[in-house]
Amino acid sequence: MRGEVPTNGSRSVGIEALNAYCGVACISVREIFEHRGLDMKRYANLSMETRSIGLPIEDPITHAVNAAKPIVDALDAEARASIEILVTATESGVDYSKSIASYVHAHLGLSRNCRLLEVKAACYASTAALSLAFAYVASGVSPGAKVLVIGTDVALVNARAEYLEPTIGVGAAAILVSDQPRVLTLDVGAFGNYSFETMDSARPTADFETADVDGSLFAYLDCFSQSFADYATRVDGADFAATFDYFAMHTPFSGLVKAAHRKMMRELHGAAPAQIEADFARRMQPSLVFPQIVGNLCSASVYLALASILENAPIEGPRRVGLFSYGSGCSSEFFSGVVDEGAAAAMRAMRIGAHLRARHALGFGEYERLLDDNLRCLVAARDRVVDARHSEAILARVKNRRRMLVLRRIENYHRKYELI
Amino acid sequence: MTETEISRVVKDSIVTILPYVDRAGIRGDCNLKDLGADSVERIEIILVIKQRLAIDEPLARFSSIANIDALIRFLAEVRSA
Repeated sequence: MRGEVPTNGSRSVGIEALNAYCGVACISVREIFEHRGLDMKRYANLSMETRSIGLPIEDPITHAVNAAKPIVDALDAEARASIEILVTATESGVDYSKSIASYVHAHLGLSRNCRLLEVKAACYASTAALSLAFAYVASGVSPGAKVLVIGTDVALVNARAEYLEPTIGVGAAAILVSDQPRVLTLDVGAFGNYSFETMDSARPTADFETADVDGSLFAYLDCFSQSFADYATRVDGADFAATFDYFAMHTPFSGLVKAAHRKMMRELHGAAPAQIEADFARRMQPSLVFPQIVGNLCSASVYLALASILENAPIEGPRRVGLFSYGSGCSSEFFSGVVDEGAAAAMRAMRIGAHLRARHALGFGEYERLLDDNLRCLVAARDRVVDARHSEAILARVKNRRRMLVLRRIENYHRKYELI
Repeated sequence: MTETEISRVVKDSIVTILPYVDRAGIRGDCNLKDLGADSVERIEIILVIKQRLAIDEPLARFSSIANIDALIRFLAEVRSA
């Protein structure tokens, strides 16, 4: 491990367990380009193979539960009872008042002595919640406490979204924070933030999202530079090229991560193109394996990237990871932590790669039939019975499907679920 | 630096990133999308221009510039500030 980040003598804190759920169906990004008549020249810069797509029987609550349940089910009763805070982080709320966390709490069977809340800060929300969770655990106000943070989102896109459509994924990442950091030990006190008001992308209604592409990408890059600069004011000798073995980045699409890395290596280190390319392959590419076959997982994106490193990089001994989270609007954070062989083993036990490979690859016609139903996912309805016929036909074709929570109906605005 | 000199840097930077573009065909009322640049290439063009002109302006300030003429005027203002 190169570089030294001070731990400020604090107690050990970080991520105890991490899992991601990214749907049971996917579509080839090339097929979307071909059927929509999008410019194939842009396909290369996206660097994406497939995108996950939700079914009409799925919503942000089912994604959250399906990501978190393997973590919670693996805990003994005492450990489960020590989850004192459940936070759902999402830009896919289903009610102006009632939190997604209230449903998730019930379906995970967590203690009634648990705080529940939902947070919103576009794709930065999970990291915002996680930073506060780290501080809660590190503060020692409740020794042995655990915090469960779940980033969960759905996609609201169809043909009108143009080049956004192929990049958006669906799903959730569940992150258990505690003083037993088996997956990532936080560098306590090593963080940097950068935020300013901008209208780069937004979800102004329950079935529509809008994006100023250049505004969003430029804000992302400014925030990456500036949050790292803020991190460097807190960490003596922080060096972009030498301090970190890997990076886990918010990944709207892999081409942007590549541009961000190139920018930093040029501006901070004057690196030559061949050196940048080799460094990207070594320190960045392992984090992109999963995002390239899922798409932008919004609030959970950084943590899918971290899982990708742990399942796909050769981790032998302690390795420092730099993590960058960006949310439109905008707010961002760069922070770091240490992973090791034990973390990689814990991650492999979640079998995220196997879960992704088992998704059913849809044909374009079948994919398109799902889009209108998916656009209704967050739209308020007093009463609605979910038509599950198409979804169940797809589920029947998923290899080795795990048990999963699904949405059955809405009764007097109350969502009703079933574990199948 | 005059606007003519800045214009030369802008056009040189565009053809560095988009080698298929005819330099003589870059008109002031075109924007980078008109010239065929995708989102990543637009980032790269602005980064190369910033580097060659040695300016340290946040990228977010470039996002709403309408066309090449407006970009040249903006760069001239930043350089003279």
